Formats: sequence, C-alpha cells, structure tokens
Amino acid sequence: MENRVLIAIDLSENSLKAVDYVGRVLSCHQDTRITLLNVIKEPSSDLVPDAGERHRQVEELRAETLKRMEEAAGRLIALGMPEQSVRLKVQVCSMPVSVTDLILKEVREGGYSTVVVGRRGVSKREEFLFGSVSSKVVREAHQCTVWVVV
Amino acid sequence: MNEAEVRERIGSFTRFPPRGKLNIVSDTTEFMSIKADDVLEFNGGYYLVRGEEVEGRFGLDGEPKYWVKRAIDLSDGTSKIIKLVFHESFLMQLGSLQIQCFRSPIKEARILDKTHDDMRFMQGFNVKDTAGNAVRIIDRIQGSRYYDYIHNLDIDHETYYYQVFPKVFDSILGAFQAINDLHHMGELHGDIRNDHILIARSTSKYTWIDFDYTYDWSENFFGVDLYGLGNILLFTVGKGFHTIPDLNACGPEGIKMKQCLTQADLSLFFKHRIVNLQKLFPYISDSLNLALMHFGQEADVFYEHTDELLSDLRACEADLPR
Repeated sequence: MENRVLIAIDLSENSLKAVDYVGRVLSCHQDTRITLLNVIKEPSSDLVPDAGERHRQVEELRAETLKRMEEAAGRLIALGMPEQSVRLKVQVCSMPVSVTDLILKEVREGGYSTVVVGRRGVSKREEFLFGSVSSKVVREAHQCTVWVVV
Repeated sequence: MNEAEVRERIGSFTRFPPRGKLNIVSDTTEFMSIKADDVLEFNGGYYLVRGEEVEGRFGLDGEPKYWVKRAIDLSDGTSKIIKLVFHESFLMQLGSLQIQCFRSPIKEARILDKTHDDMRFMQGFNVKDTAGNAVRIIDRIQGSRYYDYIHNLDIDHETYYYQVFPKVFDSILGAFQAINDLHHMGELHGDIRNDHILIARSTSKYTWIDFDYTYDWSENFFGVDLYGLGNILLFTVGKGFHTIPDLNACGPEGIKMKQCLTQADLSLFFKHRIVNLQKLFPYISDSLNLALMHFGQEADVFYEHTDELLSDLRACEADLPR
C-alpha cells in the first residue's frame, strides 16, 4: 500500500531541514508518496484594501513559493526519492484561518499517514501572541504520525 | 443649510459661536488643517469642531490626535467624536515584544456596523466625505475610563476585594463576553487596554472603544487581544499592577515578600510584574489565581480563545466573596 507523507513547509531554513530529513529517511521506501504543502495567506483587506493589489501580491508570492518548492522537491529527488513520488501543493487562503487547520484538513482528505513540520523555535511569548503551527499540529492531529524536525 | 442657517444652529448649541466667516469642510483628507470652529459637512449633516482628542494615557496628557475631532452635531447638539482617515503603521510594544501594527479606518467602520445597537461597544455611524474618506461619527460617552475608576479607588486591597471587586468582576466578565462575541463575528479589537473601556456615568455600563488597530494574520488570531484581556484581568484582581520595584519600596516587609517570589510568579511579558497575586493577597481565591497564572512565565498552557478564558472566569464566580 502506498505510504503518503505530507510535509508542511513555509520555505524557512527549518522547513528545508525537514525536507532533507524526510528525504534521507524515506529514500529507501520507494512506495512513499510525498506531498509538499505550502499555505499562502492573502493579505488582509484591512491592510491592503484594493482587491487587485491583493491578487497581485498573492500571485507574486505564489511564483516565488513555487520556485522554492521546486527547489525543495529537487532536494528530495537528489536524496533518492523517485520524481513521480513528489508532489507540490500550494493553497491560498483569503480568510484569517489557522494554517494548522488547513494542514490537518489536507491530512484527513488526502489520506496521509504522516505529517511532517519544521519547528521555528519561537519563544513562549511569541507562542502566546502568534501561535505555533508545529505545537498545534502535535496537539490536534489524530490518526496520523507527526514528525517535528527541529 | 446655508451659512446663515449653520451659524444660527451653532448659536443655539454653543455659548461661544465662531466669529468671522465659517470654514465649512466636506473633504477631510487634509485633516491637519481642520481647526476648532470649522464645520464639517457630510451628507447634509453638520458638525462644529471644538478641538482634537488627546492621546491621554494613564493619567498623562499626550499628543493631540489631529485625525480625531471633538465636535457638536448641529442637528441636535449632541457631542460626537469624529474620526477621520489616517493611515499609519508602527511598532506596538507588547511587554518585551514588538509587533507591526496598522491603523485601519475600514476595520473600525466595519465593527461600528456590526455592533450597531450593542451598547457594550461604542456607537456611531459611517459616512463618506466628498473625497471618499471613511469617516466615523461616534457618540461621545460621558464617563470615566476603567483605568481611572480602579486607580482612583481610595481603599486598601482587602476592602476592595471583599466589597467592590465582586461587582467589578461581573462587569469585567460582561466586557470580556463582548470581546468574545466580537471574535465570533470574525473581528479583533486590536488594542485592548484598561483605558479603552469607558464606564458610562449615567448607566455604569462598560463600553469598549477604539477598534482601528489591526495586524497581519498569525496562527493565533486572537493572541494579541488575549494578551490585552490578561492585562486587564490582572489589573482588576490586583486593583492595579504590582511589581518587584513596588515591593522594594515597601521596606523590610516588601523585601521579605519579594524573597517568596519565584520566576513562576511573574508575568510572561513584563518581567517585574507579579501575576501570582495570591502571594501578595492570600484571600484571593484559588480559581481566580489559577486563571492569572496562565499569563505567567512558566505557564504550560495558554488561552487561545476568549471562550476558554471566559469559561475559567465563570467558574471563579462561585468563589467570589458575596
């Protein structure tokens, strides 16, 4: 049976560490399908009221994100993952939703058995104010394995 | 209305009408040049400007807010606060952290609409001036700021806790519930401070003001508001904030008390601020103190939603002195 792994990345160095780790560990498991997921948050309409400008910013971000994700996919392939086993997914959200909720929705709907996140190492104060995707994924994930790469 | 009619209205609502030619302004883009005695005109409504609001914070006089005018509604003589469009971005200090904050007139206008007729929030309406600026016309609340009310109570903490606090706590719970309702509408207050609650003189009701701060999204959408609610809770339970320097100033008794404190007793955001108030005031209930400790340096679990905070605080009600 195909083993599905979701790597949630934000294109930070830590996310790329997570990609490298998964590549090293899973390259010997050729029946694994890896999806790289990135969530782009559309700027708030309170900050960027013009819809055209918001769209332009999102498209700029999407192009940059896809470029970085292709680099990340290249790292997996270089580590031995078959090219056809690596997929890219970019999700744009226009509402202030939790990235964790989107990741876990993807895990459920995509039938993934493992979700991988990097950890930025935020302080307690930052976690209070801004939250932490990795902490929330660990706390709220069900019926899947969570790998946190620090 | 022509100028003579406007002038007649002014005469009926003020003892000191402006002399000379009236300056009637309908494009407020250049708000710095709008002065006292000018008249603002929006959609046939006329407002006599009396001056600017001042950023008065914690008993200090601050800078005039040139985009916020004090005015008289010339249709009925009521006092209004007129907020004009001013965009700015700045770093807001949250304890030892800074975040990028933006002033958003459209956010405040939207909240005014959503909370219309809900007296837990400031009331008013939105109009566009001739240049399309989103102007907010807000009813002035006659009353005192929550900060001043608590700060000016001339009683010791124990008397406060047993005689005044239960009623204050009820009111603060109502104010927190209002923020929770705002969150359920998908909105943030954005600048929750103990001087952004006004207590109306006529009704003693607590009213939230000023909703124009906003931020970029983060994973914890309500984090900044919860930070503010935590500060207000601590201020309310303690009848003000209590710090290590305060204890140092209390002589040997204060020094002895300080020696009983550990890092866990201090605020997550303000390193000298004491959150474990039970150590200072042993009669504070365990349940209430536990809620305060969620804002401490060694808290393992933080509130992520106002529902959670409210649920804990409602559980404290049974332990209040009655």
